[in-house]
Amino acid sequence: MVDTSRSQADDQLAELSLTEEEKLVLAKVADILRRIRFGTVVLVVQDGKVVQVEMAEKFRLR
Amino acid sequence: MAETMQAFSSQLPVPVVPKLAVRELVMTRRTASRETVTATDQLTFEVATGEFVCLLGPSAAGKTLLLNVLAGLEMPTSGEALLDGHPIAGPGPDRAVLFQEPSLFPWLSVRGNVELALELVGAPAGEREALARRWLTNVGLERWADAQPHELSAGMRQRAALARALAADPDVLLGDEPFGALDAQARELLQREVERVWLEAEGRKTFLFVTHNVREAAVLADRVLVMSAAPGRLLEEFRIHAPRPRSLDDVLVGRVVTEIHDLLMREVDESVAREMAR
Repeated sequence: MVDTSRSQADDQLAELSLTEEEKLVLAKVADILRRIRFGTVVLVVQDGKVVQVEMAEKFRLR
Repeated sequence: MAETMQAFSSQLPVPVVPKLAVRELVMTRRTASRETVTATDQLTFEVATGEFVCLLGPSAAGKTLLLNVLAGLEMPTSGEALLDGHPIAGPGPDRAVLFQEPSLFPWLSVRGNVELALELVGAPAGEREALARRWLTNVGLERWADAQPHELSAGMRQRAALARALAADPDVLLGDEPFGALDAQARELLQREVERVWLEAEGRKTFLFVTHNVREAAVLADRVLVMSAAPGRLLEEFRIHAPRPRSLDDVLVGRVVTEIHDLLMREVDESVAREMAR
């Protein structure tokens, strides 16, 4: 599980010194994660860049 | 990348009245031994305008019965089936059905079959030939317009049936295992044709296909509804947000295929166990 304690997460992020583009990708992924309960998220990477985000969401109906 | 990501935040438009709706639909049928069997049980779901939905389930889950109800060919035992919010009372030109066996009239040419469909929806006589030719060209059959159905391969006959179904410009295309009897290559070609036609309609046409082919559903559908073994109920729904055309090699498609496949195998195993315990 990811350690969500604030300081450690902040430290890790600071260490990465994310570019704007990387921040956008992470924001998008976080947005998707908040919206789905069950499913799959796929990042398609070409030449070091995320070119596509795909997802499949699953709902139990019974 | 910004564009592909943007596309995500815009969810499918959800109109107030769904194009198709099924509410607590129960269908029973009588077997030869006069037993009453429940085919679908309390089925409830909606299909929005412009959606491409695949309904997937084991044999005898009542998929064909359900499609027949939506086509207006059968009435539900109880519950209701709605088109634009109104109960479906019979077949109509607003819905075309693509069956597993392309039901072309053998005494008419391929073009004659398409023209007949146009005549039935009241297309002016002077425009029918041009419209028929355009649709046959659209499915790659322009050179076969004057051939008789028996001269065509199974895949070409199904393409002719697709041209006939779409020439009448229906709002809804219902498919009952439309590619089930085709070889793998013809199947893939037709899947591409169908997807292209649906895309070109830009959200105006609603497609609902019944299939037992998991890969077909994962490649084609916005939403896959998975049904249980008889009596058919809905088990799970998969919403697939991925650009088209999709390929079976796509990671997401492969993942969805595996999940649905496992779900169906579990369901079939359980239903066999239930039968044995009876």
